[in-house]
Amino acid sequence: MKELRIEKETKGKVHLLHLVGSLDMHYFPILERQIKNLFQQGAYRIVLDCREADYVSSAGLGALVGFAREAREHDGDVRLVNLSQNTCQIMELLGFTKVLQTYNNLNLAITSFTKLPGAP
Amino acid sequence: MTPSPTPSKPQAPHAVRLITPSHSGYLSSIRALVAVLASTVGFTSDETAQIEMAVDEACANVIKHAYAPHKHWLWQHREPEIRLAIFVERDRMIVEINDHGQRFDFAAYQPTDIGARLRELKTDGFGIAIMRQFMDEVTYHSDDETGNTLRLVKHLKK
Repeated sequence: MKELRIEKETKGKVHLLHLVGSLDMHYFPILERQIKNLFQQGAYRIVLDCREADYVSSAGLGALVGFAREAREHDGDVRLVNLSQNTCQIMELLGFTKVLQTYNNLNLAITSFTKLPGAP
Repeated sequence: MTPSPTPSKPQAPHAVRLITPSHSGYLSSIRALVAVLASTVGFTSDETAQIEMAVDEACANVIKHAYAPHKHWLWQHREPEIRLAIFVERDRMIVEINDHGQRFDFAAYQPTDIGARLRELKTDGFGIAIMRQFMDEVTYHSDDETGNTLRLVKHLKK
């Protein structure tokens, strides 16, 4: 079984979570806890680097929609970068790319937050 | 020296069977097996990812709903299991997911359109709609003798 590993990094006010493994029913709660912890600390600008994430379940995607909605209420967002081609294709087919912002480039994902109010 | 035989897909339909405890920790193993067999049939990487997701959603539903502790399982005396039979055929793949948890009224269930749920920013309830979107046939059968069986079929595009 591939465990989910999360490496954290901060770039200014943006919190980067590098994900390694699967975001399925079993492992998604690990990410859920990390995001909730960040929200509790008042950190609402989050980028999930999915370069090494090999699977995202619909429950995971649905939960990310919920987190993005909550973050947007606090001038933040939860954005995804470096998704695999398969995950991208699935998100597009299902319509998740209309409600979650995705990027191909980590720097673009980070700097995208400068357009939000109160950005440095 | 005898040349080694060229690997080819099996000519006759055959079933690969896997039984796991009803536990989310086994989902990654189930997906891995499904992916390997889907590529054997000849599905593209995109199609394989869709089959993987449909099967993952089906198994997650069994774990979360059919075997929920407060539900009335068909066979109360047996430990909760997920039993998969994957039929690899020349031009299609069939995945049967069998359990003995609570019966589900599949025919009566009308999943809301995924796009509509997302527009309303709903965060769950996508599973069956995904199976129907990604697979060509989705059928469900339940009886006291054989348990509950969800059958997912995907055909190779000509």
